[in-house]
Amino acid sequence: MPLWTLRGLRRGVVTTRYPARPDPSAVLLPTPPVFRPDALTSDLADRLVAVCPSRALGRDGDVLVFDVGACTACGRCRAEAPQAAEDSGEFELAATAREHLIKRIALDGSPR
Amino acid sequence: MTSQSATGLNVPATSEELRRTVARMFGRSLHIRTLDTGSCASCEQEIRLLAAPHYDLHRLGFFFTPAPRHADLLMVTGPMVRAFETAARKTYDAMPDPKVVVATGACALGGVYQPDPFTHGGVGGTFPVDVWIPGCPPSPLALLQGLLVAVGRLADQVKDLDFALNRTPR
Amino acid sequence: MNPLPVMAGAAAAWGLAALIALTCGSTRAGIRASCAVSGLGGAAALAAGVSALLSGNSRVVTAGGSVVVGTLQLQATSLAGVFVALLGLIAVATALYAPRYHEPGHTTGLYLGVFNLAVLASLAVLVAGNVVTFLVAWETMALLCYLLILRRPRRSEVAAGAFWFLALSEVGFVAIIAAFVILAAKTHTMQLDLIAARAHLVSGDWRVAAYLLALTGFGFKAGLVPLHVWLPEAHPVAPADGSAFLSGLITKLGVYGIALFGFVLLPGGPAWRGILTMAAGAVTAAIGILYALNERDIKRFLAFSTIENIGIIVTAFGAAMTFLAYGQRLLWAFLLLAGLYHVANHGTYKTLLFQEAGVIEHVTGTRDFDRLGGLAHRMPRSSVITFLGTLGIAALPPLNGFVSEWLIFQGLFQGFRTGSHLVAILIVLAAGTLGLTGGLAVYAFVRGYGIPFLGMPRTRQAAAASESRQPQAGPALLAAACVALAVGAPVMLAGLARAMRTVTGVTLRPVLLPGNLTVIPAHTNFSGFSPTWLTVFLLAVSAVPVLIYLAGRPRGGSRIEPVWDGGIVEFKPRMQYSAMTFSAPTRVMFDALYRPSVSVHRASDDPAGSSGPVHYESEATPIFERYLYRPVIRAFEWLADVVRPIQSGDVNLYLFYVFAAVLVAYLIAAL
Repeated sequence: MPLWTLRGLRRGVVTTRYPARPDPSAVLLPTPPVFRPDALTSDLADRLVAVCPSRALGRDGDVLVFDVGACTACGRCRAEAPQAAEDSGEFELAATAREHLIKRIALDGSPR
Repeated sequence: MTSQSATGLNVPATSEELRRTVARMFGRSLHIRTLDTGSCASCEQEIRLLAAPHYDLHRLGFFFTPAPRHADLLMVTGPMVRAFETAARKTYDAMPDPKVVVATGACALGGVYQPDPFTHGGVGGTFPVDVWIPGCPPSPLALLQGLLVAVGRLADQVKDLDFALNRTPR
Repeated sequence: MNPLPVMAGAAAAWGLAALIALTCGSTRAGIRASCAVSGLGGAAALAAGVSALLSGNSRVVTAGGSVVVGTLQLQATSLAGVFVALLGLIAVATALYAPRYHEPGHTTGLYLGVFNLAVLASLAVLVAGNVVTFLVAWETMALLCYLLILRRPRRSEVAAGAFWFLALSEVGFVAIIAAFVILAAKTHTMQLDLIAARAHLVSGDWRVAAYLLALTGFGFKAGLVPLHVWLPEAHPVAPADGSAFLSGLITKLGVYGIALFGFVLLPGGPAWRGILTMAAGAVTAAIGILYALNERDIKRFLAFSTIENIGIIVTAFGAAMTFLAYGQRLLWAFLLLAGLYHVANHGTYKTLLFQEAGVIEHVTGTRDFDRLGGLAHRMPRSSVITFLGTLGIAALPPLNGFVSEWLIFQGLFQGFRTGSHLVAILIVLAAGTLGLTGGLAVYAFVRGYGIPFLGMPRTRQAAAASESRQPQAGPALLAAACVALAVGAPVMLAGLARAMRTVTGVTLRPVLLPGNLTVIPAHTNFSGFSPTWLTVFLLAVSAVPVLIYLAGRPRGGSRIEPVWDGGIVEFKPRMQYSAMTFSAPTRVMFDALYRPSVSVHRASDDPAGSSGPVHYESEATPIFERYLYRPVIRAFEWLADVVRPIQSGDVNLYLFYVFAAVLVAYLIAAL
């Protein structure tokens, strides 16, 4: 009997149970950021728009337009403004319409 | 999702009807045709891992097939380089109805590349896309979730996320 | 019906057609009139041939002659019946084909006149009743065919091809004369039927010598390897109907000669005679098809395929003679019958293919496979007709080539009935070689039909092809004949069996066709099949997928999309197989036969394409010309050099020769 089968039996099943059960390795995944509107001043928003390499961030008046679909989870916006952008931990991002991925985040000081 | 009416014209049936048809037909057995329209192949590497023992999409009833005639779902990566457009269109046309198109990765969603003489910048203009999977590249778990959304086994939950942490009440 | 007067009528018609062509052949009306008369003659010959098959050998008719030439005698034999019928069919097909193929002109009239005279001479060969008639008719036929090939004498390849034809025909003629002279001297008669009756007077050694001379002499005409080298040179350069006539009938005259000597004049002999013939046939068949696969020119390809089929026929004859040596008379007659049936079949479809090759050449201006392509859509009727001919020659069911090759194979497979292990093994080896050639023939004709007709056109001329105003009636008639020979094979075989009773004395009908539609290869415990029912079955079976589709196709709308091709944006003709690459596997496997000499030139040693094109050329070594013919020719040239001093030009020396000759003659007479 080949030795690798014994090793396999010792280790057990490695296949993930997703979607029935969450996968423990999901916490290691790079994910898009989540923003704190309180910390998002207009200047900060402009800097974040400039630093995003895939044009996922944009300004529309006093709203930060965040295109989740364009985000590559590179982390530059988080590095630029750690108080305003954090790791969201969301990886289940499939959308049935493109608009579902365009998020509008009100900046600080503007009415929601 | 596209389907043919009895007269043969390409009119969309009610989406609820189609959703149910797709869930019934593809929910447990789906054949996926991947299409690389000019990507860097990172998405392809993640897609390849789906067949590996850890993620194992076969346990969900999903299979990869190279033949568009046998495929139910077209998984498109890459920003749709213009030189590839005819071949991509031919692949789409060669798939029988009903079919589902899943745009995978930030390039296909229009993120990374601007339209320019060499590329369209995204696949939305070439096919009617049903599910969009963001990521660069989307992890195999994200891909699995996207495929399950495409066949109706999981719900589209990103529309309820607002990617903004709660404001402190004024 | 007595066939001889009908054949005389046919001959008169052909003579008249020749006259019309020679006098008014430069007008379209003259061509049409000549062809019409020629066609009538062909129909008469077809009827006469069939009647000769059925009615046995007619009596010998003296048709004049003179003291110088000897008496000319004619006899319509059963053996010749098949060949005469084939000649008639080919004449009718050519009569339908020629008016649209040839442009009216002075040379056309000459050509058609010579053609009709050549047909007449061939008929004379087939009905010759004595040695002199045979030889005179044979030589006339050879010379007229030489003129036939020389239709366009200014092209260099035409002159060379015609010269090869004539030279080797004459060499063969010497051997034929020698063979006939031996027989006539030993049996003290010139009449062929009397020679056959007195064959027992010829002693063993002389029989062997006569047969070997006949095999060689007629082998030159038939195209047995290594006597075949003139065939691929001569057949392609003649006009299409001439090539068709040469391949379809003239080679069969060589086969007729072999059959005449082997079965009528010298029946019965040692087994090795049959084995030698069988081996020659098998080698011919294999080499013929292997060289066919290496050809880019359609007509050279078809010429080599003719060599292959002649090999099959001669293999059948050889095996028949072997069986007789072991007392298997049924199989002897059966294989002769199978060989004659293959003669009829091959004559039909080879003529068809050559005629279509002529149409292709006229329409596209080229004979090169690699400049054709996509003709099926542009020439739909011609492509269907050619497809029927291709099915026939590739021996695919249900057509006639399949039936005759099946018969030959079944005869060969019964080699165990000879009782000698060695001979049985040799016969099985011959069957194996024929199996190899059969497989290669299918391969070759997939190439031969697929490259020109299917796919995309490789050149503008091929793309612009159109079959309007091209001859179609002639090839269509031959295609119908192929189908008739296949479906009506039992009828044909019944007729041939009757002829076999005359030629061999064996009553084959009850063991060949016990029912009316099933064919049995001479022994009931071996195998059997029915060509007619096979055709019905194949048609019925091909209807099943159609019915399934009609019953099961989806209701409601469906979408029609092109075949999935991998998403190729634009197909280019260069993406297809070329004829030479399609046959590359044989060149790899059989490179010991081809011994290709490859030359590669590149502008520099940079990687290909960056400094200019790479020129690749591969040429098969012509082993027969180089290692057999060239040494013989050089030996003769050397001999001529040695003997030349005799012709010094000095009149005094010549007078001395005269004196010396008279002296020697006087001394010999005195002794």
